[in-house]
Amino acid sequence: MRSAPAICLALLAAPAARGATDFAHEVVPVLREHCAKCHMDDKKKGGFSMNTRELLLEGSENGAVVEPGKADESLLLEAILSDDKTEKMPPKGDRVPPEQVEVLRRWIDEGMAWEPGFTFGEDAYEPPLKPRRPELPPVVGGRDHPVDRLVDRYFAEHGITRPRPLADGPFIRRLSLDLTGLLPSPAEVESFIADTRPDKRARLIETMLGRDVDYAEHWLSFWNDLLRNDYQGTGYIDGGRKQLTKWLYGSLVSNKPYDQFARELLAPENDESRGFIDGIQWRGRVNASQTREIQFSQSISQTFLGLNMKCASCHDSFVDRWKLDDAYGLAAIYAEAPLEIARCDKPTGRMAEPGWIFPELGEVDGSAPRPERLKQLAALMTHPDNGRFTRTIVNRLWQRLMGRGIVHPVDAMDTRPWDEDLLDVLANRFAADGHDLKKALALIVSSSIYQSESVVVRAGEDPAVFRGPLAKRMTAEQFVDAVWSITGTAPRKADAMVPRNPTAEHGLRAKWIWSVSSASSMVPAGETLVLGTEVVLAKAPVEATAVFVADNAADIYVNGSRVAREDGRAAAPRPGKAELGNLRAGKNSIVVVARNGGSQPNPAGFIFEARLRFPDGGKQVIATDSSWKWTSTLPDASGRFSRPPLDWQPAEIVADARVWTPFTAGLAEQIEGDGAPMVRASLVPADLLMRSLGRPNREQIVSMRPDNITTLEAIDLANGEALAGLLKRGSVHLARPGVPAAVLVDGLFMRSLGRPPSAAERALLVDSIGRRPSPAAVEDLLWLVLMMPEFQFVR
Amino acid sequence: MTPPVIPNRRAFLKALSASSLAAAMSGAPRAFAEEPLEHPEATADCCILLWMAGGMAAPETFDPKAYLPFEKGLPVERILSTFPAIDTSLDGVRISSGLEEIAKLMDRATLIRSHVQPDLGSILHSRHQYHWHTGYVPPQTVAAPHIGAWMARVLGPRNPVMPAFVNIGQRLEGVGESEELKAFTTGGFFGSEFGPFNLPFPDEAARSVRPPEGMDAGRFADRYKLYRKLVDRSPRRDFMSDYQQESMLRSLENAHRLLGSKEKAAFDLTGEPKEVLDAYGEGRFGRGCLLARRLAESGARFIEVTTEYIPFVHWDTHENGHATVDALKKEIDRPIARLIRDLEERGMLDRTLVVIASEFSRDMMIEGVPGSEAKDQARVKSDTLENSTHYGLHRHFTGGSSVVMFGGGMKRGHVHGATADERPLVAIKDPVTITDLHATIFTAMGVSPKSVFEIEKRPFYATEDGKGKAVASLFG
Repeated sequence: MRSAPAICLALLAAPAARGATDFAHEVVPVLREHCAKCHMDDKKKGGFSMNTRELLLEGSENGAVVEPGKADESLLLEAILSDDKTEKMPPKGDRVPPEQVEVLRRWIDEGMAWEPGFTFGEDAYEPPLKPRRPELPPVVGGRDHPVDRLVDRYFAEHGITRPRPLADGPFIRRLSLDLTGLLPSPAEVESFIADTRPDKRARLIETMLGRDVDYAEHWLSFWNDLLRNDYQGTGYIDGGRKQLTKWLYGSLVSNKPYDQFARELLAPENDESRGFIDGIQWRGRVNASQTREIQFSQSISQTFLGLNMKCASCHDSFVDRWKLDDAYGLAAIYAEAPLEIARCDKPTGRMAEPGWIFPELGEVDGSAPRPERLKQLAALMTHPDNGRFTRTIVNRLWQRLMGRGIVHPVDAMDTRPWDEDLLDVLANRFAADGHDLKKALALIVSSSIYQSESVVVRAGEDPAVFRGPLAKRMTAEQFVDAVWSITGTAPRKADAMVPRNPTAEHGLRAKWIWSVSSASSMVPAGETLVLGTEVVLAKAPVEATAVFVADNAADIYVNGSRVAREDGRAAAPRPGKAELGNLRAGKNSIVVVARNGGSQPNPAGFIFEARLRFPDGGKQVIATDSSWKWTSTLPDASGRFSRPPLDWQPAEIVADARVWTPFTAGLAEQIEGDGAPMVRASLVPADLLMRSLGRPNREQIVSMRPDNITTLEAIDLANGEALAGLLKRGSVHLARPGVPAAVLVDGLFMRSLGRPPSAAERALLVDSIGRRPSPAAVEDLLWLVLMMPEFQFVR
Repeated sequence: MTPPVIPNRRAFLKALSASSLAAAMSGAPRAFAEEPLEHPEATADCCILLWMAGGMAAPETFDPKAYLPFEKGLPVERILSTFPAIDTSLDGVRISSGLEEIAKLMDRATLIRSHVQPDLGSILHSRHQYHWHTGYVPPQTVAAPHIGAWMARVLGPRNPVMPAFVNIGQRLEGVGESEELKAFTTGGFFGSEFGPFNLPFPDEAARSVRPPEGMDAGRFADRYKLYRKLVDRSPRRDFMSDYQQESMLRSLENAHRLLGSKEKAAFDLTGEPKEVLDAYGEGRFGRGCLLARRLAESGARFIEVTTEYIPFVHWDTHENGHATVDALKKEIDRPIARLIRDLEERGMLDRTLVVIASEFSRDMMIEGVPGSEAKDQARVKSDTLENSTHYGLHRHFTGGSSVVMFGGGMKRGHVHGATADERPLVAIKDPVTITDLHATIFTAMGVSPKSVFEIEKRPFYATEDGKGKAVASLFG
């Protein structure tokens, strides 16, 4: 609870012995019998707790309930005596007997004496807001890592034996899966084990975290879950929801400092990062607790502070300190129009005031315009004294790495951590390191405790007591990435429009074109022209995908049907993608209506490249270059000319394409599977297999994935077409003639488990698949290894 | 409902089925033990929901109104029903023509003519379907479980080998609004253990319980035997907590138990005699009804069979409604009647609750309910009938729809509630909300409508806020 006002303290000081009524023996039993179920311990229905005298006097969400000395004026007695169904207390069961009512009346009139220190229940834990600066305990056994110093103390206090150190092989597998989501290659495993340098683990950590793209594509799923971002789902189709993918991906690749990351989400400077605060605009009417404003309140509280505003979105919470006005205070920061407070979906007539929930740190100026309010909110959220912000994220990272949070569940940040000092040391260090997420990960994974064997929670043991790292179930994406990489069956193309190799050239054969080569410096705003080409194909392609960028707008037509549109409203040119489904054998026309944007003369250009694949495996490229033509005659709405224009002229390659470099990096990877890094599960929409393995529908924020494999999932794994199909295709790759079974088994174990099989395992498997295994035998072998608990869990 | 106290985890593991194990240990929902919960005595052991996806017009099916045949130039506002009414085996109760086979069984049915839904502003099928299937209006701050998942969670399957909750006939990929469909076709916060076993194509259901394509039963069984040996030989057997290890192995065991069971034959329709296959018809819905009967016989708990929701298809008649509904009735009439007769012949109807329902009704003129702000979604807009595509009930209507129930403890030959005979055709007597209809279904199945689980420290009830009240007068 918030600190008790001074008046309560004064009342508390009233002498305990003033009245004749015996508090402990007369009053306590009555209150406990009739009120405990709803108003004691962690229960506070109507926001009313009787745990202590202060709380009793503080009253409910509707105000005071009782005042010492005034029994007959008190709501407490009135409710106890009432027969009105809507107001009587207790609401169900027998009435309080008259002699007990008399005890309460006497006690109140006498001044409500209370046994000093007595409480009806443990006060809910209230976490500190500001960062604490705990002292590190002394070094034990030479382990001077701050995490180990704290864990060693914790273990000593709890009589827990340190788990054994983790061997190199399991270490590299765990580290690789935890930091990049990928299995280490056998070569990586072998060279790491063979490495004799004493600092090889520190080097490995640095190398892993240095793999920016692998890191980003793994943690993308973590953030997509927390930010409700996806490639498809409710709202996207009709503009009621915006993707964050490009911004998020870039932020992860560049390891954007987390405070800046949060500020860009909370107070977006452009459309790329505004999807989080805008949430989901549902079509039709929604409950008052699901409007965009209230979604904002809930989402920022959960994601950044690990606190639950869902209760308080409808009414003052029964389980924690948050009140309806707190939820609406946050919502009103976001609201564009005055926001009326609704209680349980019923309007109250009161208007919400913009307000920040930790006034100790400052306030949001309610009269400021919205962008300014959001900026102030972002500043308060990332305020150096907001320990809640840093603790929440380091706790999430700890949970991912160690299997269970220091506070657990990770969204219950108002509950007690198993070690407050550890949480604060991690949080402080994170802040001191410039909110560097990779450094926070590095700090944890460099500790001896992370580099320990995973522990088993045994029967009768309290899972809330920390004993060491726990085995973690692979996420759906980790599992699917692993299967794809082992079987070579990853999809050819990513769905996410992200530059996977941000430092590379765009890699296209295509050139930027316009009517004049000077277009890269100056073209009148709004200039519209038509670019076009004709392509003769011997056969219809089986696949034809194009990427393009228009500065600024373009409608692209193939054979008289529009295949793509860039409306040009984005802040900067952006890559677009199109499937050219209607290319045919013979002559094909491609017509592009291109328009320059802006309000004054500015650069204009268009770049387009299509890759075609034919039934016989042949390939062809269609790319903008000087063979294209332009005209100022505009076609009709389906890209056709009623009369062929007579003024087609050669298009020109623009003089300085470098102006667009930032927008086209890695563009070729969108259409080229070959040579590019494997497409990751996080870059494509969830399929049935991923969904079955727990990749969530991202309508709600998800901070922890399911940790067990259910029967329905097991059925999908045992006979589901998705996995079976991957294994069948993979077996064809792997079952090359002449490869002896033992070599195959050894290789698969190294690739999947990061270790060679034991003699017993090898004998069993070689014996069963035969010396010259058929593809079917290899398929079964793959399934056997992929289903091993050892494979499915990151240990 | 109360989570068991675990004196000895080993004994516990052995004693419990995987499903209750997973839930007890996953830390997610647990019973909210504020007051003792008393489940009602069940009148049904199994529930089959026949889902008329897309909005079944009551005036064209179970609640016929004045009929006017097509006539060019007829003002559309005069049209209430586009089919004549026929007599049924229940005296004085008429239903729409095209449902002749079901009409013969109305003396065994409980017919609710006053089912009402809230008008959620923009009348979207997926939102109303979400509401109907979970009992909660979307969006929700937690993933709400489907009513079938509630049955799976609270009751489990009748036969431990079988999946408790089976969903027949709805594709979840490649159809419109599929993301929205997935949002309620789910175990929700109960987790996937309690989610639906999806069988979009009844004729291919056997494939879901058969070894993967190209693998014979012997190889499939051998693979699993080898797997158990491999796990036993693994030098790393002990690294996981008992719970994770046991849970995963048990799930695989359960899966293989089903895939190797005699019950899996229930998924295979090819064993049915030709006469039966013909009676249920060629359509996916008809075959779904047959599959539902077989799964009910084998011990599934909750089976949904849908005509399948695809925007603007099947019951979602935004134009050409008369012809579409005419065809749909042919698709459902014989299979539903045969299902009821089959259950009756097998002595199962008394303990099997069959429910025919839809997300809302339809009307010729009114979108939503009178006074609704919903936008008119009819595709044909004409004040008079100019051609046959104009003829039909093309607007969503939430003011009064029909639900038919057979067996499972419901009255035989009973009509509950009524709608007005003149537009607006709203429920004018004894309206039944989704919450109370669910409470009725839960009660019949022996599940208290107040059943509650805790999720994110908040209570979540089987019926909205625990307020559902079974309609007592429906029970026989």
